[in-house]
Amino acid sequence: MNDSSLLPSELRLFAGASLFLLLGWVLRLIRRQELGLRESLLWLVSTSVALSLVLFPALLLRVAQILHVQVPANALFAAAFLYVLVNLLSTTIAVSRNAARARRLSQECAILRAEITELRRTLKLGPQR
Amino acid sequence: MRTLVIVPAFNEALNLPSVIQQLRGCDCEDVCVVDDGSTDDTCNVAARMGAIVLRNPFNLGIGGAVQTGYLWARDHGYDVAAQIDGDGQHDPAYLRAALELIASGKADVVVGGRFGAANGFRSSFVRRLGIRYLAWLIRLRCGARVSDPTSGFRVVGRAGIELFAQHYPSDYPEPEAIALAQRSGLRVTEISVRMRAREHGKSSIDSFRTLYYLLKVSLALLLLPSLRRREAFDTNLAV
Repeated sequence: MNDSSLLPSELRLFAGASLFLLLGWVLRLIRRQELGLRESLLWLVSTSVALSLVLFPALLLRVAQILHVQVPANALFAAAFLYVLVNLLSTTIAVSRNAARARRLSQECAILRAEITELRRTLKLGPQR
Repeated sequence: MRTLVIVPAFNEALNLPSVIQQLRGCDCEDVCVVDDGSTDDTCNVAARMGAIVLRNPFNLGIGGAVQTGYLWARDHGYDVAAQIDGDGQHDPAYLRAALELIASGKADVVVGGRFGAANGFRSSFVRRLGIRYLAWLIRLRCGARVSDPTSGFRVVGRAGIELFAQHYPSDYPEPEAIALAQRSGLRVTEISVRMRAREHGKSSIDSFRTLYYLLKVSLALLLLPSLRRREAFDTNLAV
């Protein structure tokens, strides 16, 4: 079986180009320091995996056979869904971590503000505005 | 024993004066009001009454607010911290009994429960059922015997202050905090306190949220981290 019988060439072209653009965009964001390498590592790895599945459909066929998926294209859709889920979960983890940090920061703010008020009172500087 | 009374308050300008006055009447000198992003005059009212005011820049919810108080207690070397709701439901007269339990070393965390003998606490059947279920779940998960785990009336000693300053759950934190304390080797006891009806405003828990409350707290209790794991997920991210 040749590659185009596994996945239609148009689909391969479109998916490959999209993923390639996405990969390029992620790399560009990293270079411009708009995306931390730590946070984007999962994007790089998962996009590369997705790209290799599209470029080398033989890999996709193996995956489809293991999972008993009749049509390799369906395995591709399943993989795409998984890809989104994994990256979404990692985003949620980052959001949770940032929420915990924001909470602690605002608590520190509250405490420092109270300390300043105390200090101003002892120094008779009058209330801050 | 230096004692700090933590009063979490969100838009409680009307209730605060009487709460603070009652606390003064019970020899509680150090009162710390945590203004959790109120939009009313809460922080000015508290300051005028001579309380220490900790003002969160935005609303963190009851868990985050209370923890702000515990952080203050920890950093200023208090031996005991008491937690009293800012809505006037808790009678500070019961603080003395709780403080004695801590001072005598019989307990590390004292919860003021509403279901004791000398108690006229009335609430809806569903709510009582929910509270009993949570009490059962806590006992099952970590062995703490508390009949009213949702009560916000708490008194904790030094070890409890250290623990809660470091880790305090958010989003309906009361039952989880008990489990956390028990899991961390603190002794949790309960005394019976009488609750009053709120003077102004409404409770933050309406019937609609009860289901979410039960679900969230159940999950939290079932997924209670072991001690070792909890260290790995330390929320104190200061480097």
